[in-house]
Amino acid sequence: MKITDASVCPYPAGDSTLARMALEAAELGFDSIVAIGEGERQTSGPEVLRGVVISAASQKDVIRQVRGPAVRRADVVFVNAGDTSFNRAIVSVKEVHVVRNIHTTRRNAFDHVAARSAAEHGVAVDVSMVPIIQYRGTRRQRVLQRYADVLSLQRRYGFPLTISSGACSILGQRSVRDVRGLCALFGMTGAEVSEALGSIGRLIEPERPVRVVR
Amino acid sequence: MKPRPPAMRTKRRYILVRILPYGITADQKQVYLSVIEAVTSLWGDAATGLAQPAVVFCDGGYAVVRCRRGTEKDIATALATVTAIGDEQAALRTVATSGTIHALRRRIKPIRLLSETGDVKFGENYFTVYRYPRQKVDLVEKGIKHQKSLFFTEADLEER
Repeated sequence: MKITDASVCPYPAGDSTLARMALEAAELGFDSIVAIGEGERQTSGPEVLRGVVISAASQKDVIRQVRGPAVRRADVVFVNAGDTSFNRAIVSVKEVHVVRNIHTTRRNAFDHVAARSAAEHGVAVDVSMVPIIQYRGTRRQRVLQRYADVLSLQRRYGFPLTISSGACSILGQRSVRDVRGLCALFGMTGAEVSEALGSIGRLIEPERPVRVVR
Repeated sequence: MKPRPPAMRTKRRYILVRILPYGITADQKQVYLSVIEAVTSLWGDAATGLAQPAVVFCDGGYAVVRCRRGTEKDIATALATVTAIGDEQAALRTVATSGTIHALRRRIKPIRLLSETGDVKFGENYFTVYRYPRQKVDLVEKGIKHQKSLFFTEADLEER
Protein backbone atom coordinates (compact mmCIF):
# COMPACT_ATOMS: atom_id res chain seq x y z
CA MET A 1 0.00 0.00 0.00
CA LYS A 2 1.45 3.33 -1.07
CA ILE A 3 0.94 6.33 1.17
CA THR A 4 -0.18 9.10 -1.14
CA ASP A 5 -0.78 12.80 -0.77
CA ALA A 6 -3.91 13.11 -2.91
CA SER A 7 -3.26 16.58 -4.28
CA VAL A 8 -0.51 19.17 -4.48
CA CYS A 9 -0.42 22.18 -6.80
CA PRO A 10 3.16 22.76 -7.99
CA TYR A 11 4.72 25.74 -9.78
CA PRO A 12 3.44 27.77 -11.66
CA ALA A 13 0.15 27.47 -9.69
CA GLY A 14 2.18 27.47 -6.48
CA ASP A 15 5.64 28.63 -5.48
CA SER A 16 7.38 25.23 -5.35
CA THR A 17 8.32 23.04 -8.28
CA LEU A 18 7.05 19.50 -8.63
CA ALA A 19 10.54 18.04 -8.07
CA ARG A 20 10.96 20.01 -4.83
CA MET A 21 7.51 19.02 -3.58
CA ALA A 22 8.25 15.38 -4.37
CA LEU A 23 11.53 15.67 -2.46
CA GLU A 24 9.72 17.16 0.55
CA ALA A 25 6.94 14.56 0.35
CA ALA A 26 9.52 11.77 0.52
CA GLU A 27 11.07 13.38 3.61
CA LEU A 28 7.61 13.66 5.19
CA GLY A 29 6.88 9.96 4.76
CA PHE A 30 4.87 9.78 1.52
CA ASP A 31 5.47 7.20 -1.21
CA SER A 32 3.66 9.10 -3.95
CA ILE A 33 1.91 12.40 -4.66
CA VAL A 34 -0.79 13.50 -7.07
CA ALA A 35 0.19 16.69 -8.88
CA ILE A 36 -2.69 18.79 -10.13
CA GLY A 37 -2.07 20.24 -13.57
CA GLU A 38 0.46 19.42 -16.23
CA GLY A 39 3.16 17.74 -14.20
CA GLU A 40 6.10 15.84 -15.60
CA ARG A 41 6.82 12.36 -14.38
CA GLN A 42 9.78 11.96 -12.04
CA THR A 43 12.44 9.42 -12.76
CA SER A 44 13.63 9.19 -9.15
CA GLY A 45 12.12 9.77 -5.72
CA PRO A 46 8.46 9.21 -4.92
CA GLU A 47 6.01 8.35 -7.66
CA VAL A 48 4.22 11.36 -9.13
CA LEU A 49 0.72 10.82 -10.46
CA ARG A 50 -0.99 13.28 -12.74
CA GLY A 51 -4.28 14.69 -11.47
CA VAL A 52 -6.85 16.89 -13.12
CA VAL A 53 -9.64 18.90 -11.52
CA ILE A 54 -12.99 19.39 -13.22
CA SER A 55 -15.16 22.30 -12.20
CA ALA A 56 -18.59 22.06 -13.75
CA ALA A 57 -22.15 23.11 -13.10
CA SER A 58 -23.92 20.02 -14.42
CA GLN A 59 -23.36 16.31 -14.95
CA LYS A 60 -23.52 16.88 -18.72
CA ASP A 61 -20.65 19.32 -18.46
CA VAL A 62 -18.62 16.82 -16.40
CA ILE A 63 -19.19 14.05 -18.99
CA ARG A 64 -18.13 16.45 -21.79
CA GLN A 65 -14.98 17.41 -19.90
CA VAL A 66 -13.90 13.86 -18.97
CA ARG A 67 -13.74 13.05 -22.69
CA GLY A 68 -11.16 15.79 -23.25
CA PRO A 69 -7.54 14.79 -24.02
CA ALA A 70 -6.10 16.39 -20.85
CA VAL A 71 -8.44 14.41 -18.62
CA ARG A 72 -7.79 11.17 -20.48
CA ARG A 73 -4.05 11.52 -19.87
CA ALA A 74 -4.60 12.03 -16.13
CA ASP A 75 -4.19 9.24 -13.61
CA VAL A 76 -6.66 10.68 -11.11
CA VAL A 77 -9.77 12.71 -12.02
CA PHE A 78 -11.14 15.07 -9.35
CA VAL A 79 -14.47 16.88 -9.54
CA ASN A 80 -15.32 19.87 -7.37
CA ALA A 81 -18.44 19.12 -5.34
CA GLY A 82 -21.59 21.13 -5.88
CA ASP A 83 -25.20 20.95 -4.73
CA THR A 84 -27.04 17.78 -3.72
CA SER A 85 -28.31 16.77 -7.16
CA PHE A 86 -24.93 17.46 -8.78
CA ASN A 87 -23.08 15.35 -6.21
CA ARG A 88 -25.54 12.48 -6.57
CA ALA A 89 -25.06 12.59 -10.33
CA ILE A 90 -21.25 12.83 -10.51
CA VAL A 91 -20.54 9.90 -8.19
CA SER A 92 -22.07 7.63 -10.84
CA VAL A 93 -19.81 8.90 -13.66
CA LYS A 94 -17.37 6.08 -14.45
CA GLU A 95 -14.33 8.27 -15.21
CA VAL A 96 -14.53 10.28 -11.96
CA HIS A 97 -12.25 9.07 -9.18
CA VAL A 98 -12.58 11.65 -6.40
CA VAL A 99 -15.08 14.30 -5.30
CA ARG A 100 -13.20 17.19 -3.71
CA ASN A 101 -13.88 20.51 -1.94
CA ILE A 102 -16.73 18.96 -0.02
CA HIS A 103 -16.17 21.51 2.78
CA THR A 104 -17.14 24.41 0.47
CA THR A 105 -20.61 23.03 -0.25
CA ARG A 106 -23.79 23.49 1.75
CA ARG A 107 -24.63 21.17 4.63
CA ASN A 108 -26.23 17.91 3.40
CA ALA A 109 -24.91 18.52 -0.14
CA PHE A 110 -23.23 15.13 0.16
CA ASP A 111 -26.02 13.04 1.64
CA HIS A 112 -26.71 9.35 2.26
CA VAL A 113 -27.93 8.79 -1.33
CA ALA A 114 -24.69 10.18 -2.77
CA ALA A 115 -22.71 8.20 -0.16
CA ARG A 116 -24.37 4.91 -1.13
CA SER A 117 -23.86 5.63 -4.81
CA ALA A 118 -20.19 6.56 -4.21
CA ALA A 119 -19.65 3.27 -2.39
CA GLU A 120 -21.26 1.31 -5.25
CA HIS A 121 -19.19 3.05 -7.94
CA GLY A 122 -15.95 3.23 -5.94
CA VAL A 123 -15.75 7.03 -6.00
CA ALA A 124 -13.78 8.62 -3.16
CA VAL A 125 -14.38 11.80 -1.20
CA ASP A 126 -11.36 13.99 -0.57
CA VAL A 127 -10.51 15.37 2.86
CA SER A 128 -8.31 18.42 2.39
CA MET A 129 -5.95 19.58 5.12
CA VAL A 130 -5.91 23.17 3.83
CA PRO A 131 -8.99 24.44 5.71
CA ILE A 132 -7.91 22.74 8.95
CA ILE A 133 -4.43 24.27 8.75
CA GLN A 134 -5.26 27.72 7.42
CA TYR A 135 -8.73 28.58 8.71
CA ARG A 136 -9.36 29.86 12.20
CA GLY A 137 -12.45 30.19 14.42
CA THR A 138 -15.95 29.41 13.17
CA ARG A 139 -14.81 28.66 9.62
CA ARG A 140 -12.57 25.84 10.86
CA GLN A 141 -15.30 24.61 13.23
CA ARG A 142 -17.70 24.34 10.30
CA VAL A 143 -15.13 22.42 8.25
CA LEU A 144 -14.52 19.99 11.13
CA GLN A 145 -18.29 19.44 11.43
CA ARG A 146 -18.53 18.70 7.70
CA TYR A 147 -15.64 16.26 7.82
CA ALA A 148 -17.13 14.52 10.87
CA ASP A 149 -20.40 14.21 8.93
CA VAL A 150 -18.61 12.75 5.89
CA LEU A 151 -16.75 10.34 8.20
CA SER A 152 -20.01 9.10 9.74
CA LEU A 153 -21.39 8.45 6.23
CA GLN A 154 -18.15 6.69 5.28
CA ARG A 155 -18.41 4.39 8.29
CA ARG A 156 -22.01 3.55 7.37
CA TYR A 157 -21.67 3.08 3.59
CA GLY A 158 -17.96 2.32 3.13
CA PHE A 159 -16.99 4.62 0.24
CA PRO A 160 -13.26 5.41 0.01
CA LEU A 161 -11.75 8.56 1.48
CA THR A 162 -8.60 10.29 0.29
CA ILE A 163 -6.48 12.76 2.26
CA SER A 164 -4.74 15.64 0.52
CA SER A 165 -2.53 18.43 1.74
CA GLY A 166 -3.71 20.65 -1.14
CA ALA A 167 -0.37 22.39 -0.81
CA CYS A 168 0.72 25.06 -3.28
CA SER A 169 4.06 25.34 -1.48
CA ILE A 170 6.42 23.10 0.46
CA LEU A 171 5.32 25.16 3.47
CA GLY A 172 1.82 23.71 3.10
CA GLN A 173 2.91 20.08 3.07
CA ARG A 174 2.54 18.12 6.30
CA SER A 175 4.03 14.86 7.53
CA VAL A 176 2.05 11.64 7.84
CA ARG A 177 2.23 12.02 11.63
CA ASP A 178 0.82 15.55 11.44
CA VAL A 179 -1.96 14.34 9.12
CA ARG A 180 -2.89 11.69 11.70
CA GLY A 181 -3.10 14.37 14.41
CA LEU A 182 -5.15 16.73 12.24
CA CYS A 183 -7.56 13.97 11.19
CA ALA A 184 -8.03 12.99 14.82
CA LEU A 185 -9.61 16.43 15.32
CA PHE A 186 -12.78 15.22 13.60
CA GLY A 187 -12.69 11.70 15.03
CA MET A 188 -10.74 9.74 12.44
CA THR A 189 -8.80 6.82 13.90
CA GLY A 190 -5.24 5.91 12.96
CA ALA A 191 -6.39 2.86 10.99
CA GLU A 192 -8.89 4.97 9.02
CA VAL A 193 -6.18 7.54 8.23
CA SER A 194 -3.84 4.78 7.00
CA GLU A 195 -6.57 3.37 4.78
CA ALA A 196 -7.45 6.81 3.41
CA LEU A 197 -3.79 7.58 2.64
CA GLY A 198 -3.54 4.34 0.68
CA SER A 199 -6.80 4.61 -1.22
CA ILE A 200 -5.45 6.48 -4.28
CA GLY A 201 -3.58 3.32 -5.31
CA ARG A 202 -6.76 1.28 -5.00
CA LEU A 203 -8.73 3.87 -7.01
CA ILE A 204 -6.41 3.86 -10.00
CA GLU A 205 -5.85 0.10 -9.88
CA PRO A 206 -9.03 -1.38 -8.42
CA GLU A 207 -9.07 -4.99 -7.27
CA ARG A 208 -10.81 -7.05 -9.93
CA PRO A 209 -11.42 -10.77 -10.25
CA VAL A 210 -8.63 -12.71 -11.92
CA ARG A 211 -9.10 -12.80 -15.71
CA VAL A 212 -7.83 -15.75 -17.75
CA VAL A 213 -5.98 -14.59 -20.88
CA ARG A 214 -5.57 -17.25 -23.60
CA MET B 1 12.86 29.75 48.38
CA LYS B 2 13.26 26.04 48.80
CA PRO B 3 12.65 24.17 45.52
CA ARG B 4 9.97 21.54 45.33
CA PRO B 5 11.08 17.91 45.69
CA PRO B 6 11.42 16.15 42.30
CA ALA B 7 8.26 14.06 42.79
CA MET B 8 6.19 17.23 43.29
CA ARG B 9 7.49 19.06 40.22
CA THR B 10 5.48 19.39 37.02
CA LYS B 11 6.55 16.80 34.46
CA ARG B 12 7.36 18.33 31.11
CA ARG B 13 7.92 17.31 27.54
CA TYR B 14 10.00 19.09 24.91
CA ILE B 15 9.18 19.11 21.19
CA LEU B 16 11.92 19.81 18.67
CA VAL B 17 10.64 21.56 15.53
CA ARG B 18 12.39 22.60 12.35
CA ILE B 19 11.45 26.01 11.00
CA LEU B 20 10.80 26.28 7.27
CA PRO B 21 11.86 27.95 5.00
CA TYR B 22 15.52 27.48 5.88
CA GLY B 23 16.68 31.06 5.54
CA ILE B 24 14.03 32.62 7.80
CA THR B 25 15.30 34.79 10.65
CA ALA B 26 12.90 33.72 13.37
CA ASP B 27 12.95 35.59 16.66
CA GLN B 28 12.11 33.43 19.72
CA LYS B 29 9.31 35.77 20.76
CA GLN B 30 7.75 35.73 17.31
CA VAL B 31 7.88 31.93 17.26
CA TYR B 32 6.25 31.89 20.71
CA LEU B 33 3.46 34.21 19.56
CA SER B 34 2.80 32.04 16.49
CA VAL B 35 2.74 28.87 18.61
CA ILE B 36 0.41 30.38 21.22
CA GLU B 37 -1.94 31.71 18.52
CA ALA B 38 -2.10 28.29 16.84
CA VAL B 39 -2.59 26.35 20.09
CA THR B 40 -5.21 28.76 21.46
CA SER B 41 -7.22 28.83 18.26
CA LEU B 42 -7.22 25.03 18.01
CA TRP B 43 -7.68 23.91 21.62
CA GLY B 44 -9.04 27.01 23.37
CA ASP B 45 -7.86 29.00 26.37
CA ALA B 46 -8.53 26.35 29.02
CA ALA B 47 -6.57 23.56 27.32
CA THR B 48 -3.76 25.96 26.41
CA GLY B 49 -3.50 27.11 30.00
CA LEU B 50 -3.22 23.53 31.21
CA ALA B 51 -0.68 22.58 28.54
CA GLN B 52 1.57 25.56 29.38
CA PRO B 53 3.29 25.78 25.96
CA ALA B 54 6.46 27.84 25.77
CA VAL B 55 9.38 28.24 23.39
CA VAL B 56 12.60 27.60 25.31
CA PHE B 57 15.09 27.60 22.46
CA CYS B 58 15.16 29.04 18.96
CA ASP B 59 18.32 29.05 16.88
CA GLY B 60 19.79 27.71 13.66
CA GLY B 61 16.45 26.93 12.04
CA TYR B 62 15.23 24.86 14.99
CA ALA B 63 13.02 25.61 17.99
CA VAL B 64 12.19 23.67 21.15
CA VAL B 65 8.63 23.95 22.46
CA ARG B 66 7.99 23.00 26.10
CA CYS B 67 4.65 21.67 27.34
CA ARG B 68 3.22 19.58 30.18
CA ARG B 69 3.59 15.83 29.93
CA GLY B 70 0.50 14.26 28.36
CA THR B 71 -0.29 17.24 26.15
CA GLU B 72 2.60 16.82 23.68
CA LYS B 73 0.43 15.18 20.99
CA ASP B 74 -2.11 18.00 21.14
CA ILE B 75 0.63 20.62 20.98
CA ALA B 76 2.32 18.83 18.05
CA THR B 77 -1.02 18.85 16.20
CA ALA B 78 -1.41 22.55 16.88
CA LEU B 79 2.16 23.19 15.67
CA ALA B 80 1.10 21.73 12.31
CA THR B 81 -1.39 24.60 11.96
CA VAL B 82 1.28 27.33 12.21
CA THR B 83 1.38 29.10 8.84
CA ALA B 84 3.35 32.28 9.61
CA ILE B 85 6.00 33.63 11.95
CA GLY B 86 5.73 37.38 12.25
CA ASP B 87 4.88 38.63 8.76
CA GLU B 88 6.61 35.82 6.94
CA GLN B 89 5.07 32.60 5.70
CA ALA B 90 6.52 29.65 7.58
CA ALA B 91 5.88 26.11 8.74
CA LEU B 92 6.98 24.11 11.78
CA ARG B 93 7.95 20.48 11.22
CA THR B 94 7.99 18.29 14.32
CA VAL B 95 11.27 16.36 14.48
CA ALA B 96 11.18 14.66 17.89
CA THR B 97 9.65 14.73 21.36
CA SER B 98 11.65 14.09 24.52
CA GLY B 99 11.72 14.57 28.26
CA THR B 100 14.99 16.52 28.18
CA ILE B 101 16.36 19.34 26.05
CA HIS B 102 19.73 17.58 26.10
CA ALA B 103 18.30 14.61 24.16
CA LEU B 104 16.75 16.94 21.60
CA ARG B 105 20.00 18.83 21.03
CA ARG B 106 21.53 15.58 19.81
CA ARG B 107 18.80 15.41 17.13
CA ILE B 108 19.60 18.86 15.75
CA LYS B 109 21.37 18.62 12.41
CA PRO B 110 22.71 22.03 11.45
CA ILE B 111 21.18 23.33 8.22
CA ARG B 112 24.16 24.60 6.29
CA LEU B 113 23.92 26.91 3.36
CA LEU B 114 26.07 25.45 0.58
CA SER B 115 26.50 28.65 -1.37
CA GLU B 116 24.88 31.91 -2.27
CA THR B 117 25.54 32.13 -5.97
CA GLY B 118 24.36 35.35 -7.47
CA ASP B 119 21.01 36.27 -8.86
CA VAL B 120 18.54 34.95 -11.39
CA LYS B 121 15.74 36.75 -13.18
CA PHE B 122 12.23 35.33 -13.43
CA GLY B 123 9.86 37.49 -15.40
CA GLU B 124 10.29 41.03 -14.11
CA ASN B 125 11.80 40.08 -10.75
CA TYR B 126 15.32 39.34 -9.57
CA PHE B 127 15.89 36.54 -7.05
CA THR B 128 18.84 35.64 -4.85
CA VAL B 129 19.78 31.96 -5.04
CA TYR B 130 20.44 29.96 -1.85
CA ARG B 131 21.60 26.38 -2.25
CA TYR B 132 21.04 23.71 0.41
CA PRO B 133 21.94 20.00 0.67
CA ARG B 134 19.95 17.42 -1.32
CA GLN B 135 19.86 19.67 -4.40
CA LYS B 136 17.45 22.12 -2.80
CA VAL B 137 17.49 25.67 -4.09
CA ASP B 138 15.56 28.54 -2.49
CA LEU B 139 15.04 31.73 -4.47
CA VAL B 140 14.27 34.86 -2.50
CA GLU B 141 13.04 37.93 -4.33
CA LYS B 142 15.26 40.96 -4.01
CA GLY B 143 13.63 43.74 -2.07
CA ILE B 144 13.11 45.23 1.35
CA LYS B 145 9.77 43.82 2.50
CA HIS B 146 7.34 40.99 1.64
CA GLN B 147 9.73 39.28 -0.72
CA LYS B 148 8.36 36.34 -2.63
CA SER B 149 10.12 32.99 -2.22
CA LEU B 150 10.32 30.16 -4.74
CA PHE B 151 11.38 26.61 -3.89
CA PHE B 152 13.21 24.79 -6.65
CA THR B 153 15.72 22.01 -7.10
CA GLU B 154 19.07 22.22 -8.86
CA ALA B 155 17.61 20.47 -11.93
CA ASP B 156 14.67 22.90 -12.10
CA LEU B 157 17.03 25.85 -12.02
CA GLU B 158 19.19 24.43 -14.79
CA GLU B 159 16.15 23.86 -17.00
CA ARG B 160 15.13 27.54 -16.84
